[in-house]
Amino acid sequence: MLEKEEKQLTRDCLAMALEAGAAKARASLSKNTMNIVATLDGEVDKVTSCLDRSISLNLFVDGRYGTFSSNKLDRESLRTFIGKAVGTTRMLAADTCRDLPDPARTAKDASKGNELGICDSAWSSVTPDQRIAFALENSASSVKPGRSCSSVSLPPHTRPAQKTSQEEHVLPVAAKGWKLISEEGEYSDSQYYNYVVDTQGLEVLHSETSFEFFTELTIQDSKGHKYSGGWWEAAPLLKDFHPEKVAPAALQEAVMQIGPQSCPSGKYRAVIDSEVSQKVLNPILNALNAFNIQQKNSFLTETLGKQVFPAGLDIMDMPRIPGEACGKMFDSEGVATSDHYIVKDGVVKEYFVNTYMSNKLGIAPTIEDATRPYIPVFWKNGIRRSDGAAAIPAKADRQCLMEACGDGILITDFCGGNSNPATGDFSYAIQGYRFKDGKILHPVREMLITGNIVTLWSGLLAAGDDARRCRAKLTPTLAFDNVDFSG
Amino acid sequence: MKTKNDYLNAFGVSLEQMQALVGEGLRSGGHWCDLFFEDTSYSELMLRDGEVSAGGSHIDYGCGIRVLCGEKTGYAYSESTSYPALLAAARSASSISVAAKSLTINQKSPYAFRQNPEGITPHSPDNKALERHFYPMREDWREADAARFVPVLRKLESRIRAKDSSVHKVIAMLSAQVSDIMMYNSLGELTTDTRPVGSISVTVIFVRGDRTEMNNASRSFRAGVEMISDALLEELATNVTVGMDERFEARRPKGGKMPVVMAAGASGILLHEAMGHAFEADFNRKGQSIFADKMGKKVASKGINILDDATIPGNRGSLNIDDEGVPGQKTYMVQDGILTSYLHDRISAAYYNVDPTGNGRRESFRYNPIPRMRCTYMESGNDGSVEDLIAGVKKGIFVDQFSNGEVKIGEGDFTFYVKSGRLIENGRLTMPVKDINIVGNGPKALADIVAVASDLKIDDSTWTCGKEQSALVSCGIPSVLVNKLTVGGD
Repeated sequence: MLEKEEKQLTRDCLAMALEAGAAKARASLSKNTMNIVATLDGEVDKVTSCLDRSISLNLFVDGRYGTFSSNKLDRESLRTFIGKAVGTTRMLAADTCRDLPDPARTAKDASKGNELGICDSAWSSVTPDQRIAFALENSASSVKPGRSCSSVSLPPHTRPAQKTSQEEHVLPVAAKGWKLISEEGEYSDSQYYNYVVDTQGLEVLHSETSFEFFTELTIQDSKGHKYSGGWWEAAPLLKDFHPEKVAPAALQEAVMQIGPQSCPSGKYRAVIDSEVSQKVLNPILNALNAFNIQQKNSFLTETLGKQVFPAGLDIMDMPRIPGEACGKMFDSEGVATSDHYIVKDGVVKEYFVNTYMSNKLGIAPTIEDATRPYIPVFWKNGIRRSDGAAAIPAKADRQCLMEACGDGILITDFCGGNSNPATGDFSYAIQGYRFKDGKILHPVREMLITGNIVTLWSGLLAAGDDARRCRAKLTPTLAFDNVDFSG
Repeated sequence: MKTKNDYLNAFGVSLEQMQALVGEGLRSGGHWCDLFFEDTSYSELMLRDGEVSAGGSHIDYGCGIRVLCGEKTGYAYSESTSYPALLAAARSASSISVAAKSLTINQKSPYAFRQNPEGITPHSPDNKALERHFYPMREDWREADAARFVPVLRKLESRIRAKDSSVHKVIAMLSAQVSDIMMYNSLGELTTDTRPVGSISVTVIFVRGDRTEMNNASRSFRAGVEMISDALLEELATNVTVGMDERFEARRPKGGKMPVVMAAGASGILLHEAMGHAFEADFNRKGQSIFADKMGKKVASKGINILDDATIPGNRGSLNIDDEGVPGQKTYMVQDGILTSYLHDRISAAYYNVDPTGNGRRESFRYNPIPRMRCTYMESGNDGSVEDLIAGVKKGIFVDQFSNGEVKIGEGDFTFYVKSGRLIENGRLTMPVKDINIVGNGPKALADIVAVASDLKIDDSTWTCGKEQSALVSCGIPSVLVNKLTVGGD
């Protein structure tokens, strides 16, 4: 709960800043209450409780600008801190492009904090005993370390949105006497508030709860090789929280990696699992940020309004979907978010331009960044489903995309690498599986993909409909043609 | 120099109150309780578009209270150090004793640091024996005005522009952090430390014709304002501009398995990621590390020594005491090719029945300590110079800058992005290369090191490790030849 006194203190910071000599100011209070129960091998390993509060200040003083924060929130400490902060700001060079946003652009519909319906009143009724029960009940370690993995029951519904083949679930655990070495689980729940005010009359509030469960397992095969697998589920509302999916999925991730084989270097069709496909979207979003464009550190400079990506591809920002995690009504300046296109039919429709970059570049401001990017279903002309039809399937999940591609490599994780922000050239190590006729053959060992982000996306064959709703970025499974794999 | 009383006064607590808080933490049956007080001031200045027009400062203050019950942890913290707030945190942390009530521990003195390798005992009445001074701060960042550093960043930019006419943009940042730390534990040990760290980092965009390249460089030390010097600015300006002709010429080479010569210094990050994490005792205690059953066994060629060191004066990874009050020290993990020690916090040390090695570290009072590296490096070998190593390779790759490393602890598999390097053809450096990854397996790569030059270099860049929490670290290595690694290319 955000107390009246906490709101008043935040507003008082503005008055203190003005008294100290600031011309304008913005103050942002963040308050997060979190409880964590971690388990190791089926026993409680760590119990943590946290309460964090801090106030951040953006100060505009004599045409100069500074950012400050403190978690010492007694009034006198804040007054002293803000006085010094104003003095420090005066020592910086003038920058007339710095300003608060146009009040007309700020959110007017975010005063209550729960407009998106993602702050669950049930959070405050969760007891410490229930937290421990959540953590223990969803631990994989009803199986003790050292016991045979063949005794692990791996439910066939492990990843229902992505795996349709019953064989795929049964195959890894059917034999061999693999050992479960360790299992770490972590249940956490939190309640978060962000209250933002400025000297132009802005007053907005965001509130959000989160329930999360994560498991990481290490297993050992009969030759002594170790493999790890992890899975994570989260939801803003307790009723939508499904921690029971986590341990089986983590175990499946681990056992599926047993027995990797080398794969010849060459060009393959690549299917990138929805769990990790944001990796190839992030360079695009970074390149569309006005700061990078202004610094000439973007491969999408001078592309606004131009066809850069395949016709038919849309990339949207959907920050205002009610009831979904990571949505927000305003950005850090208090500017109202909206559901809109970033790329439409392959044409770049938006750079991310905050107030500062707008003044600096002399272009209209938009939003400082994509809040909740979303890629709708895409199906390239001529790509046929496994049943031979060319139409977009009713359910476009990972299996469906593998079948449409026929042969290729399924990427389930990225392990290091880099994308050059100025050129878009990338090189990423991957973890994944060779597949043929839409069926997984074996894990691949020590493989990398290399290329250029724009070229990669020009070879997009399909985007599925299986984005993970608990992720901030709603990227589905993606399929690309002619990807360079080496190993 | 601050006295213990200065720290007590600054945090507004007395010895008696801390004793009572520890008592409260242990009331439900815990075996260990410690308090970690922190007052951190952080400031930054940024030069962009030719002006130092952005900056700020930040304060982080609070106390973390930990209760251990066997190997189980209860943890809570408070951003207020008022006694009622700390009492509530101690009660919250003690809940682990209830959750883990059936546990027993089988050691007489669990968690205790008994004697370090230099024979210093920690229980002398005034704790004088524990005092170390690896980072005396002659001039405190907290007492220096921002105005003083504005010309420093401007000078750095002009030095950079003077060295290369293709410089398009310069972003330079000076950041400084000073933390006052006070710890108290259920053995009655009171320890204090003031930890400075100053960093200068610079990113430069170069434009030549229609081509753009980016480079960056940084230096970071546990030191006060005195670390800033003309020589440091010149070093940074040189490092960020050197080799750009090759960078513009560089191409992605043909990939495959081949010998790799790693240059001395920053290549040590490979040692940190691919081997160092697997030596951290928590991963071994849980059986996850690939080295979990290798203690006392040969893991590298004879003559190879790998250590983790908190004692290098002014080094970013150095610590007078760790975040559990254990003295900073030098820990050999591999001696003459044999695995001799893991990196321990108090929990893992109790588990293995050894002394903690001073590796219990935390990001801030918000986190419980876990085993972390400090400055990890390999000692020099006897195989000559880097030129000698290159001369012995018929076809391979020479790498002098890595970034974006990642490792899977259980499997030991690692990946590193190569920022710059060259092909080696018939013992000579030829085409510059870029935008490639090196992929391998940590223990295998360690075993495949076939030559170690005598040119150990510690890299003083702004390395920060991200295992669960962020921690300041550094790394180093002499030039080494790895017999075979996978190089990803066209």
